[in-house]
Amino acid sequence: MTPSRRAGTLSRRHFVRALPLALLATGCAAPRQGTGRPGDPIVLTLLSHYASGVLKRALQGPVDEWNATHDRVKVRTRAVAFADLLTTFMVRQAAGQGADILHPYCLWNGQLVQAGVLRPAPSEHAEDITRGYGEAAVGSASVGGKVYGYPTEVQTYALYYNKRLLRAAGIDRPPRTWRELEETAYRTTERDRYGNTLVQGFGLSTYDDSTTVGQTLALLNAAGGRFVSADGRSTAIDSPAGRAVFDLEHRLVVNGASAPGVNVYQAFPSGQVAMVISAGWWTASLKALMGKNYGDVGVAPVPVPEADDKRATLSTGFMLGVDTASAYPREAWEFLRWLNAEKMSVQSAEKGATATRMSTLQVSAGSMTGRADDMRTLLGKEGDPNLRPFLDALGYAVPEPDVPGAQQAKSLLRKNIEALWTGQQSVDAALRSTRRQVDQEMSRPW
Amino acid sequence: MVNAPSPATTERAQSQRSAGPVAGRRGGTRHRRHQTVVACLFLAPTLLFFAVFLILPLGFALLLSMSHWAGFDLGGIRPVGLDNFTRLFADGSTFLVPVLTHTLLFALGTVVLALTGSVLVATCIDRLRFQGMWRTVYFLPIVTTVVAVGNVWKYMYEPGGLVNGALNTLGLGSVAFLQDPDTALPSVVVVQAWASFGSAILVLTAGLKSVPASYYEAAALDGAGPVVVFRDITLPLLRPCLLFVCITQFLTGLQSFALIIVMTKGGPGDATDVAALEMYQQAFSYGDWGTASAAAFVLFVVVLMVTLAQLWIFRRKGEDA
Repeated sequence: MTPSRRAGTLSRRHFVRALPLALLATGCAAPRQGTGRPGDPIVLTLLSHYASGVLKRALQGPVDEWNATHDRVKVRTRAVAFADLLTTFMVRQAAGQGADILHPYCLWNGQLVQAGVLRPAPSEHAEDITRGYGEAAVGSASVGGKVYGYPTEVQTYALYYNKRLLRAAGIDRPPRTWRELEETAYRTTERDRYGNTLVQGFGLSTYDDSTTVGQTLALLNAAGGRFVSADGRSTAIDSPAGRAVFDLEHRLVVNGASAPGVNVYQAFPSGQVAMVISAGWWTASLKALMGKNYGDVGVAPVPVPEADDKRATLSTGFMLGVDTASAYPREAWEFLRWLNAEKMSVQSAEKGATATRMSTLQVSAGSMTGRADDMRTLLGKEGDPNLRPFLDALGYAVPEPDVPGAQQAKSLLRKNIEALWTGQQSVDAALRSTRRQVDQEMSRPW
Repeated sequence: MVNAPSPATTERAQSQRSAGPVAGRRGGTRHRRHQTVVACLFLAPTLLFFAVFLILPLGFALLLSMSHWAGFDLGGIRPVGLDNFTRLFADGSTFLVPVLTHTLLFALGTVVLALTGSVLVATCIDRLRFQGMWRTVYFLPIVTTVVAVGNVWKYMYEPGGLVNGALNTLGLGSVAFLQDPDTALPSVVVVQAWASFGSAILVLTAGLKSVPASYYEAAALDGAGPVVVFRDITLPLLRPCLLFVCITQFLTGLQSFALIIVMTKGGPGDATDVAALEMYQQAFSYGDWGTASAAAFVLFVVVLMVTLAQLWIFRRKGEDA
């Protein structure tokens, strides 16, 4: 008998046949959560959009700290650009390669819960979240009254204004009511003889969802309106408040105070927009872009229709939740609690001051969390005064709707707003069309 | 000397003669079977590729077009019959108007502009020196990424951009090319046509080279002018190339959305929304893979019909693709 034919010995032919199968099996069974051998650490994956720059570094700091101080459970971060985040969730989930911890935009929560991707927070974590965060942040991280994760960055909307342009128009303070807003917008607008906009009084921009839908919803909330009804099955925009917002925006465009074609993210830092409604994250970008001219930037609460109206604005946000497919949900929630709820001392603040790691990392990246106490500690007295209105808004902001189909409802609203701004639709037609289209989508049996 | 066959040899020969046709048939069958196996083995990689990357996705898309699926869990595919197709054409749906209409206008506009322009440019190039250089120059947009092309044109169309600057220099007012719903789609069509000039010019200049010079000489002897020569000689002889360019450009136009996503994202409103963009949004943004797949099949039928119609029209005129 030749050695190759001896029992228990692998012949060359067998080896060649077995190799592809072995490789395939190894590939399919590649351990993504550690080796699986007893005693080896569990490796949790965290998929977020903190793919570059300051945010990536800010998240990696606490993750490294966790990995250095915990032997049994390690965390590995994976990041993709925000534009690819939802697609990546889908593709990886469908392929059975979903991450243990997901960092979704709260607008998608209804969709993710409906698809069975997000695991509800265990009761002790849910209580922790409800107790520790503002109402808007908890609302963003909840679907149907059930909490699904720890809110991370929370963005509220406020009015950015250029003090220099307002002063030049003889206006010494930001508008508080819609009447003042319009008057300020008209007085600050400048055009050349060819009709090119030199200065927009009020920046309405078709640039992205944030500039188109975000500011419209902030104004809608300020007028006491809501985009989605309480039961989440229809839109509530075709209301007196919705009509008032569409009317206001239509007037601003028709009278030349707004040029929706101009990208406000470029025009405002260049001094070509007097006022615009946007979220808090923009302050950090403006600081970097404008340098010493950032001193011209002021921030005020979103104006309300009448002086004695109750303040309200829009809040949007992200949260960290656990995938239903995770083999180690308990460990994942434990890590999230450590990152989002455990307090640690803040060196820059007064003695004894504490904040969560997430709050610290968000502030270091020029953003905020929904923990108002942390924000007050971290922003301190020396912080950027322009962040104060956003911080105050945490108390009265209305969370962006996150029901199933919310993303499509938002896109439909955007299309109709743009059609209104560009004269394709009247105010009545835009309201009717938005209601019909959004209701059709939201009433679908998902 | 003649060797007489032995009785045994004669018997064997007779037996071979009587078994010959059967054995030959058996041998032939075996040979054909062997050839079939070999042919199948040679074809296997291609067929496997075809099955994995075409038949399988097509079957999956067909399944999805009659199901609801959010895109996350394959176990969550729920059959819904023809609901997705019904929804596409339901009252109030934007798929037929304006989305499909825009798609056809976009493709048609691109073909008309690109074909007209490329015929003129190719004819000019055919009469110039350094033809290779000119072809390369016009081919450059093809090797440039859509994102770069879209962004450069977007800046050129801006209210303070190059195009408006030129208009202002001429004393004309500015045009909000991409912000005005009336001009947004034509503006994008111009860019798409410009970007697809290169390949059309390449095909047409090759076609022009194949036109025999004797035809032009005969026409010159008959005193035909350049317009008559172009109309009666160049264009008819270019017809196969024109057919190819026409079909390929139209198909590209019907399916493209990258330029639109870069330049307008389908806006303002839905002024530049096209079927492929709508499909992308439905699937990847809204998690409605059923509607996206149904839309894909509708687009497939449209593409098939348009292609067959083009082939039929050209065949009636005596040309094959």
